Amino acid sequence: MAAVTVNELHIDDLPWIIEYDESKCIQCGKCVASCAFKAIKPAIEQRKKSGSITEKNKFEKVIVIKQNISFAEHCRGCGMCVRVCPNGAIHVKRNTDDRYSVRYRAAKADSVKKGGRSNLNTEGRTLDKIKVGRISQMTDPSLDAVRHTFELKTPFGRVLSADKLGFEIKNDTIIETKKLPPNNWIYPIIMGDMSIGAVSWRMWEAMAIATAYLNEVMGIPVRMCTGEGGIPSKLLKSKYVKYMILQIASGHFGWNRIIDAMPDMTEDPAGILIKIGQGAKPGDGGMLMANKVAKYIQEIRGVPKADLLSPPTHQGLYSIEESVQKMFLSMNAAFNFKVPVAIKVAASATSVSVYNNLLRDPYNIVGGFFLDGLAAGTGAAHEISLNHTGHPITSKLRDCYLAAIHQGRQGEIPIFAGGGLGQTGSFAADAFKLICLGANGVFSGRLLLEIAGCVGNDTERCNACNTGLCPAGIASQDVCLTKRLDIDKVAQNLVNYFIATDFELRKLMAATGCSALPIGRSDALITVDKNVADRLDIQYVC
Amino acid sequence: MKSITIEGIVNNERISTQDLLQEIQSKIDEGFTDFEIHACGQHDIGGSSWAKDKDETLTFNITNPGQRVGAMARRGTKIFVNGSTPADVGWLNSGAEIVVKGDCGDTAAHCAASGHIYVSGRVGTRSGALMKFDPKFEAPEFWVLKNTGSYSFEFMGGGIAVICGFDCSDIDSVLGKRSCVGMVGGTIYFRGPIKDLADCVEVQDLNQEDISFLENGMDRFLTAIDKRGLKDTLLNINEWRKIVPLPPDKKTERIPVAKFRKENWVEGGIFGDFIEDDYKVYELAATGDGRLQEPQWDKEKCVDCKMCINNCPQNAISDDYSVNPNKCIGCSFCATVCPKHAWSMKDNKKEIS
Amino acid sequence: MCRIGAIKSKKYVYPSMALKLMRSQQEGHDDSGFAFVMQDLGGIFESYKDLPCLSMAATVKGTRLAEDILHDIGFTRVLQWSPDVNNQKGLKISPMPNYIFEVLQYPKSHKYATKEEKEELLIDTSLRLRKALEEDNEGFIYSFWPDMLTLKEIGSPKDIGTYFGLWNDKDEPCAKIVTAQCRQNTNYDIVRYAAHPFVLEGYTVLVNGENTFYEKNKQYQQGLYKGYVGFESDSQCFLYTLHYVNKILKWPLRYFMHVINPLSYDSINKREDKNILLRIKASLEHLETNGPNTVLSVTPDGRLLCTCDSKKLRPVVIGRDDNTVIMTSEVAGVNDLLPHRDIRQDIYPKEREMVVVNNDLTVERWQQ
Repeated sequence: MAAVTVNELHIDDLPWIIEYDESKCIQCGKCVASCAFKAIKPAIEQRKKSGSITEKNKFEKVIVIKQNISFAEHCRGCGMCVRVCPNGAIHVKRNTDDRYSVRYRAAKADSVKKGGRSNLNTEGRTLDKIKVGRISQMTDPSLDAVRHTFELKTPFGRVLSADKLGFEIKNDTIIETKKLPPNNWIYPIIMGDMSIGAVSWRMWEAMAIATAYLNEVMGIPVRMCTGEGGIPSKLLKSKYVKYMILQIASGHFGWNRIIDAMPDMTEDPAGILIKIGQGAKPGDGGMLMANKVAKYIQEIRGVPKADLLSPPTHQGLYSIEESVQKMFLSMNAAFNFKVPVAIKVAASATSVSVYNNLLRDPYNIVGGFFLDGLAAGTGAAHEISLNHTGHPITSKLRDCYLAAIHQGRQGEIPIFAGGGLGQTGSFAADAFKLICLGANGVFSGRLLLEIAGCVGNDTERCNACNTGLCPAGIASQDVCLTKRLDIDKVAQNLVNYFIATDFELRKLMAATGCSALPIGRSDALITVDKNVADRLDIQYVC
Repeated sequence: MKSITIEGIVNNERISTQDLLQEIQSKIDEGFTDFEIHACGQHDIGGSSWAKDKDETLTFNITNPGQRVGAMARRGTKIFVNGSTPADVGWLNSGAEIVVKGDCGDTAAHCAASGHIYVSGRVGTRSGALMKFDPKFEAPEFWVLKNTGSYSFEFMGGGIAVICGFDCSDIDSVLGKRSCVGMVGGTIYFRGPIKDLADCVEVQDLNQEDISFLENGMDRFLTAIDKRGLKDTLLNINEWRKIVPLPPDKKTERIPVAKFRKENWVEGGIFGDFIEDDYKVYELAATGDGRLQEPQWDKEKCVDCKMCINNCPQNAISDDYSVNPNKCIGCSFCATVCPKHAWSMKDNKKEIS
Repeated sequence: MCRIGAIKSKKYVYPSMALKLMRSQQEGHDDSGFAFVMQDLGGIFESYKDLPCLSMAATVKGTRLAEDILHDIGFTRVLQWSPDVNNQKGLKISPMPNYIFEVLQYPKSHKYATKEEKEELLIDTSLRLRKALEEDNEGFIYSFWPDMLTLKEIGSPKDIGTYFGLWNDKDEPCAKIVTAQCRQNTNYDIVRYAAHPFVLEGYTVLVNGENTFYEKNKQYQQGLYKGYVGFESDSQCFLYTLHYVNKILKWPLRYFMHVINPLSYDSINKREDKNILLRIKASLEHLETNGPNTVLSVTPDGRLLCTCDSKKLRPVVIGRDDNTVIMTSEVAGVNDLLPHRDIRQDIYPKEREMVVVNNDLTVERWQQ
């Protein structure tokens, strides 16, 4: 047996501890076979035989399941072993006292990286402190969520104030006299935006199928944001591209193939999203570790197999003026000024300045403002970014909306808010509250992962998307792991969740007597938290 | 039969609804049964007034009533309004015969549970909403000579409505828009065009029972509104159809997403250019190609102790030490127990191609 | 609860007609106030149709304050009329000390002013007067516009009628258009300004309904035009939107409906004018009024409008004879005033319908 010294990594240093009950184990090997992280292994233990101490040969060898103690192969708490064990002989237990991240830095001289979400979100969610408190009673009738009709569409694209529409009157009828910026009318909830690469091809295709189904079968005009990892040309050339918002981030991955496909495209995409930053890791660019850069990803992105670390900013955009004039113009021009172009930024103390600048843009080419808060997820990030940077979405969205009101320009650049939505189960409730606070719509990516079967959570479970070893086959490019994902079930679950959410959104609209989206209707909201009330300018109640 | 006239305006002062209704009740208590009411918009006339003797018939002839004429009226009450009325005529009618020689405002016959309501003109929005049928009593009937406003018969639970569509040539739907939303019971007979019906109901042709109901009822109705001359025009049975709620088993089912993928989605999948995916799903502890690791045997090191064979949980190793991939799950027990390290595990990581 | 009414006649009519119109609808309002606006004035006002008429209720101090301001700007009085009040005991009314209705001549500086410049002066003066009177709670400016007279008071409509002598049809006041409402309290405060009809630059609006998007309407309107002030009632938003659409944007009246009750995207998308309607829906999203509402309006050129919300959740009926058209919440009111009309000509406006009564009393019905 090897010598044991203090400085070696020890089981107590690890975030998860395997609890193994030998008496229940039938040694079927399934736990080991299922573990994507190789965090457990069979091992031979020497045991003292029961009986007389005078007997010779008093030891016997038995096979047991043991935990690996290493930086590379340690348990992430995903619980696949627990699922496959026929006898409940194995469990994973959180080590509340682990020293993993300290040990890792000390051993590797490197930052800790992970995927998933921020795990230091200890202050609770503001959205959960808000209730929908203005219920229609007497003065105006509540509506029936099932039977009445509701308008759940919102414009995506630059909206001009009425006096700037250039309308003229002819024969008592308004006629258009000038070309106006493109507007698409979409559902206020956007699926988004995770790249091919960050998620497996099956996950990505399942989202695309669900989006198509929701539009074509259910009439729920959900749009999907592609993320920036290229887009398969078969999708670009299909009619379903009209439900897609194509993303361009600092890596510009896959755009040459989009450009190549343009002459063959029969439909315009729903929009373009210029990603400047993301809420989970503001100030960081994209990060796709080499082990996820599969062959087809190399092709679609035009890169070799290597860690793909995109810069935190678009090279060539040095100021907001340039970003508007150069980037927005280029992207607008790409589709002949027929497709709305929006921007996605991480919520930040400076978001209001950004929004104000965009509102004042004289070319009217900014078609949407996607604001991403700190509880958002990511495929891979430095832990330091994930846990210690970022800005909550709720007050920042509100600030931007109030800034627009201050200028009398609310609604001119539609705001879409995201970042940890649906975290406590109901996307509809979060969406409704943010819409009342001024959002035209909302978006979420991480929630889609949960719907697909992601086992991670906000308290360090799994969060190993960066390793490419996603045990659910969602954030992996490994064929064995990806094929764990049932594309039809994932697509069906996404569809089901959106149907339920659509109904729940109507329930809230019905109770508040709104038959149209209550954008900016903050009088519908109340809170028992005085600070939240003051900060968001909503009614304090007790 | 004792008759009396009651004025809604006395000395240029309008009598309040409360005072008017109490006046009517006190006259009923004095034995009056036949009332002529010259109203000024007072509510609830004819409804909430009841004779001591349950079987006594009360008759009300009313001009210019307010809302809820004949509201909560009982059997044995006869109400005749000469002119048009505001909303809620026959609200919760529980057996009265109410005749309106004019139009009714919104929500006429709302919640009517029995009795007959006969209207010689139009009725407003949401008329017939929540009509119901209690088998202990006769089903409510609601006859309208012309048409209804939109959202008619919302949440209707029972009873019979007859919309005759007379003088409606310039109207595209005699039931207005979005009629029958939430309707779960009852029957609506109608004559004339309809559109934008809720999807929880269906339109059917009349059967013999329906036809005899209409033929008998039409006599009563036209007599009540004094328009017997219209009988031939209205009783062209071919022009009539009826609306009934859709039975629960007729509600449509959504197609499964898997079927949508196979039949409507981009052929061969959107990644078909790059990868071949059979869309099979691997178990968590999969065999064959789904194994995360595969064992490899080194003949040179093997001493034929059969430890691996004996300890393989899947019985995947044969006597010649070959591994059956359809049984092996890659658990690495063989490699663990082998005293000579003849077994090693190789990652089965494969990229899709 | 409120009940509203509008009368348009070929002959001059008296406020008693409005009182009678509302009397039979009493259960539909709460007897807490009476307000009316008269347009196209007759009697002693008939000769001054081009000059602004100030309607004001104020304390003695407030009256003086207002006169000083008007003098300061250069307005000169042409005609003043004050109602002969009946101070009999027991009337349910909380009157103001002075009621002033006066016709004024424009200042000399505006002798050659354009119509727009004069209108600008009137709105600026109204706002200045309102502000001055508001500071010490000295009174209310109801309207300051040519050929328009407004009175709003707290109390029982019947007693308000008695107090001002409105039940007896005397020479003054009379007009060809009278709009009225019997209710003073709102969902918010009891303020005289909060009573319908609301007026701005010749537009008059009365609403039976709720504007569930009041907050967002208000937030948007506050920045649109200086005359959009007060917001004592959620219904004022309808007036400001009508004014904005028709006067500032100069859009035809029917687009008012597309702003306050926009069609759904799916319905618009099937129409030929979808490009226009979708732009309106997006650009004026913050002027949508969501909730039940029937809106009666009068335009500066004397047309009467009636619009209904998308679900037609509030009652309204239009009845007429050869000389008079009446729009009101309940048919009982029309029955009282026009008992012998042909009821087959009665119009029950539908959801999303706008009915326009032109100056020759012809009626146009327009489906959204």
